[in-house]
Amino acid sequence: MLIRVNDKEMEFCGNILDLVLSLNLNPKTCAVLVNGEIVKKNDWESFVLKDGDYVEIVSFVGGG
Amino acid sequence: MFEIGGKMLKSRLFVGTGKLPDYSLIEKMYYEAGIEVFAVAVRRIGPNTKHIKNVLEYIPKDATIMVNTSGAQDHKEAVKIAMIGRELTNSDWVKVEIEKDTKYLFPDNYETLKTCEILVKEGFKVFPYIYPDLNIAKELEQIGVEAVMPLGSPIGTNKGIGCEVLLKPIINEVKIPVIIDAGIGRPSHAAQAMEMGADAVLINTAIATSADPLKMAIAFAKAVEAGRLAFEVGILKEYEYAQASSPLEDFISG
Repeated sequence: MLIRVNDKEMEFCGNILDLVLSLNLNPKTCAVLVNGEIVKKNDWESFVLKDGDYVEIVSFVGGG
Repeated sequence: MFEIGGKMLKSRLFVGTGKLPDYSLIEKMYYEAGIEVFAVAVRRIGPNTKHIKNVLEYIPKDATIMVNTSGAQDHKEAVKIAMIGRELTNSDWVKVEIEKDTKYLFPDNYETLKTCEILVKEGFKVFPYIYPDLNIAKELEQIGVEAVMPLGSPIGTNKGIGCEVLLKPIINEVKIPVIIDAGIGRPSHAAQAMEMGADAVLINTAIATSADPLKMAIAFAKAVEAGRLAFEVGILKEYEYAQASSPLEDFISG
């Protein structure tokens, strides 16, 4: 199954939490949008990604 | 102490965390320069991005996080970023920042106003970064933002208070706090902003890109305090000719 993560295509099967952990990101400090909508952290485990989903993972960086 | 955004703060110096050579400087600025408010940005992280470190992990837990909406092109994007920010930080302070023009990075006051209307209703503590326009500042005050943040000069230019004639009316006419944001390059510029009656300043580039960001943060903290004290006392008027400090009579004649 093919999804897009931050504009990069990748093979992935599973839920959002699996995806975040597989990318070695800290689930506590990032947020995930699927097809432009924020998915609440409580729903990450039950939210299974589908073929063609567009995922953005965001976090905080230095800013003014 | 002064009250802003529902908090009592000691320091009137807010600091942006962009361009810092090392995020561990944030904790030092908190403890050694007394900075209590730190601005941060939301960006993609993970594959296909250059960002790997999360700045939140470096901000002391008692400090206040101000999430900016930089990168947003319109009110829809800004609202989305604000929502993400609140979800992740538990901070409801949001600096609304919408820039379409990339050369001067001037804020788009029209989209900013629309964003603020939505975010105030959503219960955020809203701090709009604005092009210095008294009419917009008054409208923002009406809809219930916590403060207005007019620019001193374009972001990162270090030019200082480039538009005093536009800023002064805002300081004089709105009752909510006024935070001069952007373009302040030297501690003396910050002191000038405070002497004019600004309630606070936000500095990023001038501290983060200096040779010693911690020392520069301390310099700015002192300048902000000095300027504020002078404002509270009242700046004296200027005279055309000399006004002798020593008495002009009973001179010795020998």
